[in-house]
Amino acid sequence: MNRSTSCTAAVAALLVAASAVVMQAQQADAPPLGALAPANLSKQRPAAPFDVTGTWLNDIRYKGSWRFGPPPANVKLKGEALKHFEAAQKAQAEGKVYHDDIGQCWPAGLPMIMTRVWPIAMVQKPTVIYMVSGFMNSFRTIFIDGRPHSDPDVVVRSFNGESIGHWEKNTLVVDTQFFVGHHHWIDSGVPASEDTHIVERITMVNPATMEIEYTITDPKGWDGEMKFTKRWNRVDDQDIQEVSCLPDLNQHIPSTQSKDNVR
Amino acid sequence: MTSRFLSTLALVLAAAVAVSAHHAAAGIDRAATKELKGTIKAFSWQNPHSWMEVEVVGEGGKVVTWTVEMTAPSYLVRAGWKASTVKPGDEVRVTVHPLKNGDPGGLFMSVTLADGRTLTERPIVAAQAATPQ
Repeated sequence: MNRSTSCTAAVAALLVAASAVVMQAQQADAPPLGALAPANLSKQRPAAPFDVTGTWLNDIRYKGSWRFGPPPANVKLKGEALKHFEAAQKAQAEGKVYHDDIGQCWPAGLPMIMTRVWPIAMVQKPTVIYMVSGFMNSFRTIFIDGRPHSDPDVVVRSFNGESIGHWEKNTLVVDTQFFVGHHHWIDSGVPASEDTHIVERITMVNPATMEIEYTITDPKGWDGEMKFTKRWNRVDDQDIQEVSCLPDLNQHIPSTQSKDNVR
Repeated sequence: MTSRFLSTLALVLAAAVAVSAHHAAAGIDRAATKELKGTIKAFSWQNPHSWMEVEVVGEGGKVVTWTVEMTAPSYLVRAGWKASTVKPGDEVRVTVHPLKNGDPGGLFMSVTLADGRTLTERPIVAAQAATPQ
């Protein structure tokens, strides 16, 4: 190899390397693939241990059914949460409803949206699980394509929060944060805040029964972890219908209109 | 048949509490029942709750309109209801859990129609499904 050939080869190698660096930079700047992008769906991944696709109804016979309360004994409410809880206890003793925001068309939000007595339709893809509740058509997304949580400075907070899931053997572990912290309740008198953090460990008891163990923390609202376990059964003869919370409906729901409600 | 039974059982239980799960219902006196003998003023077949208004003639001939909260049509259908089951002008007897504060409103329990049929919110197929087949 003469000196001219050697120089040409070196320049070519430099160009290839530079090109690779540019491509990497372009990929880093490219927006991430959406959950339903064919290129994302077709990525090689281990098979999911189970598929929740179907229509599910909370099992109201199981352990406290649809409620995420009262707070367990190991939990110590504090600050505004304690004030709300004590006021709710007082209202209940007087036969009044305390801050019935769901009845006033505010979204139930996580966790309560999971345990309403209307079914939830779930559709699972390799990258994502979509849930649509039969109650107010509340929409929830659980991303399972390996993405991290969003930048807190960018994320749009919501009542169902941002859910990111990953598989641990036969369990789907879902981490949810970035909640709306007003008109949002864990249970009657127990408010959710912007710092509420929920971890769900989802398993299948059998093909027709799903179990979720909830761990709920909120450093603003209480010390300790709230833990609840709920179950859902498949209801294969039901579909989700269009549901809206409408002002003229609420006018005809006596319990939401009562003047005795504590707003 | 087992899955059908379990599904039906789930619906029975869900329908039993559906009216209280949309919103807190501490203002309802669940220990009390009240029968309203009157005339249907309106009936709305809608999600997530259906409702009816019943005009009741009270003391002195004064007409009081009661608002009665019901569950969702998907549950009512399984209990034998249709959107046309009741219509304005129908003479009915409606049983409710009334509001604690005495206002004319409550949670639906059952209706007896002019033809003698009584309907609730519970699926009427429950007994059939529970029978081994």
